[in-house]
Amino acid sequence: MFVLLHRLQRLRRELDLPAPARAGSLALRHVDAGSCNGCEHELTATASPVYDLQRFGLNVVASPRHADVLLVTGAVTTRMAGPLLAAYEAMPEPRLVAALGDCALGCNVLADPGELAGPLDAILPVDLRIPGCPPTPAQIADTLTGALDLLTSHRSYTLRRGSESP
Amino acid sequence: MTLNVLPVPVDRWRAACEDAAAQGARLRCLYAVEGERGPELRALLGLPDEERLLTASFAGAPVDSVLEVFPAVDWDEREAHDLYGIRFAGHEPLRALVEHPSQPDRWMTPVHGHGTHQVAVGPIHAGVIESGHFRFHVVGERILRLDLRLFYKHRGLQRAAEGRTLEDGIAYAQRACAACAVASSVAYAQAAEAVLGLAPNAALRRARTLLCELERLYNHLNDLSAICAGIGFAPGAMAFAALKERAQRLNARLSGHRFLFDTVTIAASPPQLDERAAHADRDEVRALRAAAAAGWRELLFAASVQDRLAGVGVLTADDAIALGAVGPVARAAGVRRDARAEGDPRLWYGALAPTQPVTASGDVAARAELRAVELEQTCEIIDDLLARPPERPDTRPAGRPQPIGIGRVESPRGETVCVIEASGRTLRRLHLRTGSYANWPVLAHVVPGNLLPDFPLINKSFELCYACADR
Repeated sequence: MFVLLHRLQRLRRELDLPAPARAGSLALRHVDAGSCNGCEHELTATASPVYDLQRFGLNVVASPRHADVLLVTGAVTTRMAGPLLAAYEAMPEPRLVAALGDCALGCNVLADPGELAGPLDAILPVDLRIPGCPPTPAQIADTLTGALDLLTSHRSYTLRRGSESP
Repeated sequence: MTLNVLPVPVDRWRAACEDAAAQGARLRCLYAVEGERGPELRALLGLPDEERLLTASFAGAPVDSVLEVFPAVDWDEREAHDLYGIRFAGHEPLRALVEHPSQPDRWMTPVHGHGTHQVAVGPIHAGVIESGHFRFHVVGERILRLDLRLFYKHRGLQRAAEGRTLEDGIAYAQRACAACAVASSVAYAQAAEAVLGLAPNAALRRARTLLCELERLYNHLNDLSAICAGIGFAPGAMAFAALKERAQRLNARLSGHRFLFDTVTIAASPPQLDERAAHADRDEVRALRAAAAAGWRELLFAASVQDRLAGVGVLTADDAIALGAVGPVARAAGVRRDARAEGDPRLWYGALAPTQPVTASGDVAARAELRAVELEQTCEIIDDLLARPPERPDTRPAGRPQPIGIGRVESPRGETVCVIEASGRTLRRLHLRTGSYANWPVLAHVVPGNLLPDFPLINKSFELCYACADR
């Protein structure tokens, strides 16, 4: 085990990942609404030592009750529309929905239309769009860290405004 | 291997299957199609010296089930029932598979007794996992029975492909599953080329073999990472995840896509590899092989890891054969079954022998070891194929066009079978039976008797895709 840890340590030194100059965090919940498993592989890869999204405070959490962002992959099948809505409704406000991959964005979907409940943006309000078939871990990382930056600046903005109001 | 299409009257369906079984047939797949006068039934059987496709028209009366002849046909018959309304006499109870009825007794095994209760998991899981539902019947922590309810991701890909051209149809096979994209596409291409009366030349056979092995490389690394994650052993999970990332970057350099998408086309040459890049990447493959072997050695010496893997989720060789287990799952149980070793003249495996773990104990430890052993073999094949000078992959005419073609490829998860029915260049019917489809019922068979907290580990050691079973 120590050899493995040593190798991982060396890998991290070689990669020299930039330190997270960010405040805040986002809890992510993933729902596969009918993907080909490509987006899942790449989303999992963002937690690998090469990308390590957790250093930005971006964590996949087990329950939608703990989540800020719903990451949806795949064209929404008729059988996943119900569970997807249930997960969304379980999330506390404020909440964001991210369409991860071309299928979730409704691009080049291959399927029998009768098996689909419709494009994701007809079912839920989509806030973040991550295109690609599948998007690479780097693209996923960029979009999520970008969203984190936007949200933290927005939050400090609303906080400032809040303190100015009578 | 010749394909013989044999129409049989519906009342002779079971007898025809029994005849084939007596001659040593293995079930490759059974499926239904929408014929001109109602649904028709097909069964592809692999005999020692021929591939036999039985076809029967179905006039609405029940067909005799062949579940007793081929126990592996369980899911195939249930799918044909759910999608095409074919009733199978003797398949009792014919539980729903693709359909999701609300009444529990229509899809679940009734389990009664003192202290039994159910644990429902999914379709949405706690991690980044595909969607599917597991219903465990347990006493305390001990699993008595597992009912699978998949097909949440059923996209109707096979039906959607009908009416497309043979060239366009490959996208549907590829999109069934990203992690098996090459295996499914090559199986499709083989079937389509058989329909068109074409055969790949040596260069194309080598190019496709290289793609198949590149797919196996990143998948096996992923699976070893997943097995470590299944027992919460983060150093192993992270080390192999980092190696998988390297393998996928290798894919991107060689083919332009991390999952090798769009590298297989019908009757046309795939993108050629850059010779200098291929040479540099041989060094990377060797380095990956050494790093994977070193990582595996570490797992072998981690006593707590080994203790969690041994004796968990045991599949016996007899059950593996009876249930039609394929791929690493079958080989880890001591069944030396590998489509690559059958000398397919459409790929380039030469005299490859199926790998075997030191002790084919059929447990999680054997399935993990099998992948570590197979990685060495895969790296050797990739190295050999990358060493060759650039070639001109192509197809050449080989016989008359046929209305039905089949393709068979060993995916990282086991044998993938593709059957295509076409008229001219138009796809009439596509059927894809992947390694995951074959192994899901085997997983449900292996799990009872184990502890509920060991299920994620057993599941990871099978590492089946939901997408290519659901399609």
